[in-house]
Amino acid sequence: MHQLYLTVGPTRYRLVSAWQRPLDQLAALYQNYPVSQDGYADFTVRLEPEKPWRRYIRPSVHISGDFWLPDAAPLPLDQSLLAAEMGMNLQMALGWRRHLLLHASSVEKDGKVLLMTGLSGSGKSTLSAMLAEKGWRFMGDEFALLDPDTGMVHSFPRLISLKNEAIAAMRAIVPENRFGPLMKGTPKGDIRHVIPPQNAVNRMADTAKPALLLFPRFGHDPALRDMGKSEIFVRLTQASTNYVALGETGFRALTHFVDTVPTKAMDYQSGDQAEDLIDSLWSELP
Amino acid sequence: MSQLYRAAASEGLIQHPLDSMTLVYQKSSGITHIVADPVPAILTVMGEQALTAVDIAGRLSDRYDLEDSGDTAEIVLARLVELCSLGLVDKV
Repeated sequence: MHQLYLTVGPTRYRLVSAWQRPLDQLAALYQNYPVSQDGYADFTVRLEPEKPWRRYIRPSVHISGDFWLPDAAPLPLDQSLLAAEMGMNLQMALGWRRHLLLHASSVEKDGKVLLMTGLSGSGKSTLSAMLAEKGWRFMGDEFALLDPDTGMVHSFPRLISLKNEAIAAMRAIVPENRFGPLMKGTPKGDIRHVIPPQNAVNRMADTAKPALLLFPRFGHDPALRDMGKSEIFVRLTQASTNYVALGETGFRALTHFVDTVPTKAMDYQSGDQAEDLIDSLWSELP
Repeated sequence: MSQLYRAAASEGLIQHPLDSMTLVYQKSSGITHIVADPVPAILTVMGEQALTAVDIAGRLSDRYDLEDSGDTAEIVLARLVELCSLGLVDKV
């Protein structure tokens, strides 16, 4: 077995793989992240053949680790980067207890955090990646970690996972040497990872105060709408994988967030439109 | 209408008003309930005493200066039955 240690935000992973290649790809993409040398990890992710002979014959990667889903379908070896990413996300989604975990992207400017949450396809990941190239600090495209004691957002700046049309859009503004390999025809469509800007990695221990929450929706005429606090609360419980597990701590953290963070629903049809809407909202913040 | 009801102990519930709805977090079950008026008011006037729907309707009328439309006790009873099924109120 081969293994690799990675640190993303407050989380330390040990990745164990039957194959060296996925770990080499990960090591290259995470080469500028801090390396933990003490052999300690919060989570272990395992990339192993579905059956022993599938290590060599039509190799397929089964994702497991400290936390796993019994019905997770194996992926072909050339999609092992995606398998690793899914495994790392799964550990956070099912196992993390130190923060209230919101399925949201986050970027920071002036010490204040913009969070974006919504269904797959809403554009939250792509918008965070785009803003990260335009003066915002990238804090994460998948999970925002809300500290229940302080109300601050912790960064989780893993590789940015671009899907389908977002890949071409980001190639126009991100240099080629920050892209990982293109994985075509995965269960999530075409996937390509992007290394976040270096300042996102250098500052990944810096927390910041949540200042604005958006529910973006791609493909509609540009508009901003107010939302009721009840709707916001319910949608955030749906966007959190550990709200129930955290019990009263999660309830107090989420109610405080809903009471204090301005929130809008945002419709848009292009990145430029979204950026204009975000800039207008940002300029009105206290 | 003579059935007595008692609310879960208030220290075991956290009420948090949002907009038109109120969250009620129940510590013993870890469940977050989202309730509309008049449920928060019912839970408040019940305190920790065992009361009938008529008693509760009377307390609501006193505290919130309700006009007596004659069916307040029926409305309260319907909510009490729902609250029993949620585990927020018990029959005594």
